[in-house]
Amino acid sequence: MLRRRNLLTTLLIALPWALLLTLWHQYPTTRYLSLLRKETDENVTSKAFLNGTSALREEGLPSCIRQQQSIGATPRIIQNYVYSRPPPWSDTLPTIFVITPTYTRPVQKAELTRLANTFLHVQNLHWVVVEDSPRRTNLVSNLLEKAGLNFTHLNVETPKSLKLGLSWIPSHTPRGTLQRNLGLHWLRDSFSNTAPPEGVVYFADDDNTYSLELFEEMRYTRRVSVWPVAFVGGLRYESPKVSPAGKVVGWKTVFDPNRPFAIDMAGFAISIKLILEKPQASFKLEGVKGGYQETSLLKDLVTMDGLEPKAANCTKVLVWHTRTERPTLVNEGKRGFTDPRVEV
Amino acid sequence: MRLKLKNIFLLYLVVSVLGLLCALLQLGQPCACPPAPGAERSRGGARGGAQALPTIYVVTPTYARPVQKAELVRLSQTLLHVPALHWLVVEDAAAPSALVGGLLASSGVPHTHLHAPTPPERRPRPGDPPWVRARGAEQRNRALRWLRDTRTPRDGGVVYFADDDNTYSVRIFEEMRSTRLVSVWPVGLVGGLRFEGPVVSGGRVVGFHTGWRPERPFPLDMAAFAVALPLLLARPGARFDPQAERGFLESSFLGGLVTPQQLEPKAKNCTEVLVWHTRTERPKLRQEEQLQRQGRGSDPRIEV
Repeated sequence: MLRRRNLLTTLLIALPWALLLTLWHQYPTTRYLSLLRKETDENVTSKAFLNGTSALREEGLPSCIRQQQSIGATPRIIQNYVYSRPPPWSDTLPTIFVITPTYTRPVQKAELTRLANTFLHVQNLHWVVVEDSPRRTNLVSNLLEKAGLNFTHLNVETPKSLKLGLSWIPSHTPRGTLQRNLGLHWLRDSFSNTAPPEGVVYFADDDNTYSLELFEEMRYTRRVSVWPVAFVGGLRYESPKVSPAGKVVGWKTVFDPNRPFAIDMAGFAISIKLILEKPQASFKLEGVKGGYQETSLLKDLVTMDGLEPKAANCTKVLVWHTRTERPTLVNEGKRGFTDPRVEV
Repeated sequence: MRLKLKNIFLLYLVVSVLGLLCALLQLGQPCACPPAPGAERSRGGARGGAQALPTIYVVTPTYARPVQKAELVRLSQTLLHVPALHWLVVEDAAAPSALVGGLLASSGVPHTHLHAPTPPERRPRPGDPPWVRARGAEQRNRALRWLRDTRTPRDGGVVYFADDDNTYSVRIFEEMRSTRLVSVWPVGLVGGLRFEGPVVSGGRVVGFHTGWRPERPFPLDMAAFAVALPLLLARPGARFDPQAERGFLESSFLGGLVTPQQLEPKAKNCTEVLVWHTRTERPKLRQEEQLQRQGRGSDPRIEV
């Protein structure tokens, strides 16, 4: 027979705990903890984790957020997810180093903005932006800080003599060469040949258009991989010629198809290991004929039969060599009509 | 106080009552619960509270040309960052194309695929200079008709006309989401200027900063404004006039909706440029044309 006092005591002890438990799930931190626990069980990509932390983050946080959990999921094209920040860094996926030379002109901020919007969807991407300028500009620095990507910001100015050197054939002036070489130099400085990271280097100009699928195609490059590029060489697309056995045997181009590598800058990616193995390989500055800039680098790295064809044996177009019109700022006049303090 | 069992119980009681009071105070505050766990788990942090956000309806007229797929691909990559967005793509064509349909299906952006052909008398003629393009009025009006047919004023939301070759920062979409009537902001690289936009004083639009035809009632670019959906639905006559003079297309639409004084300035009182009127060059396809004349053109089954 329970005494009334004991019953009362038990009730008084149990009641607060019962009420607390029912309200437990509403409290933000406990939800956060339970989600973390669930993640390791279900091996879900940690979107929910970002859910809890996105409120705490502000725009200017440092770009490289390394999280210890390895996702383990195979890399997939983003179909259902929306990221306001890049996907969490994975310790198992190879890194894609994208080297983008850029130079100041009115459309620069627009180009870099939409490029950043593309790269924010790609997991394990490190953006190396190399400005053609004597100093790193505020425009690019601020853009990179706010974008939220992993990045490295470099600069090297192309000397005037080089810019004008081949200007009697203006279309053949190799643009961005010094900048790309600086990007390669940074990679060789940052990583050692004895313990090369898993990864690939891609040269992405700031006015091209890249599909998300392209990055997953290039991620597992062993030496040098290649694929078709649209709107180059006066064609709908240029592409490597692939034999039924899956090896590259030639080039489907009209302009000088007998070049050792008749491919556009956006049509190939090189594994980091290979870049570090061959430290002397870089783009040649002088004496490069029109259309041979890519050859000047690739010939020191690989031969045609060592190339890996991607994009369904080079039958899909995943990158477009778009070019942006130069805006005619006719109404600015001599002294500038618009407020120069407003960044465009 | 001596360490008696009675005292320990008393202490415990006090602590649990305090905890209970805290929990009861939490009850009064807005709940930070996730919505339905299964479906929402796969959405990103940006979409965590998507249910409460007004939907942005992005209307994009598009037409077939070599760079069409590239333009739509990179636009979709930007739009994919914006939660609570519905993309209305209207093709200038007699029927929806497989290229655009396939692209939209694989983009991951919630969308509706429409089409409305421009009448032949308003299409660019063979002799026209390359910068002459169809105005897109019929396509935008088609999208307006879809909105009027399928949405009610209770739905809320904002309508934005986004051409497929412009460049948009993700932030412009958050700026426009709070539109009550019609909101405006500067657009870069348009009207022959670094940027064109409203002049704001005391939080209101008092004029327009433009170098081209400033006599226009609304000297704004298509990408410079967004309209609240309830306002649009309350004015069934508001549409784009295909016969309007060059540069007056926006005015023909906005004139039926608001006066310039009612415009709501965004982007830090119109001092920040968050959208650029970029245009993509027509690619040189000379070798392709030569090959096609010889009957050796590139495989048309490979989509570009």
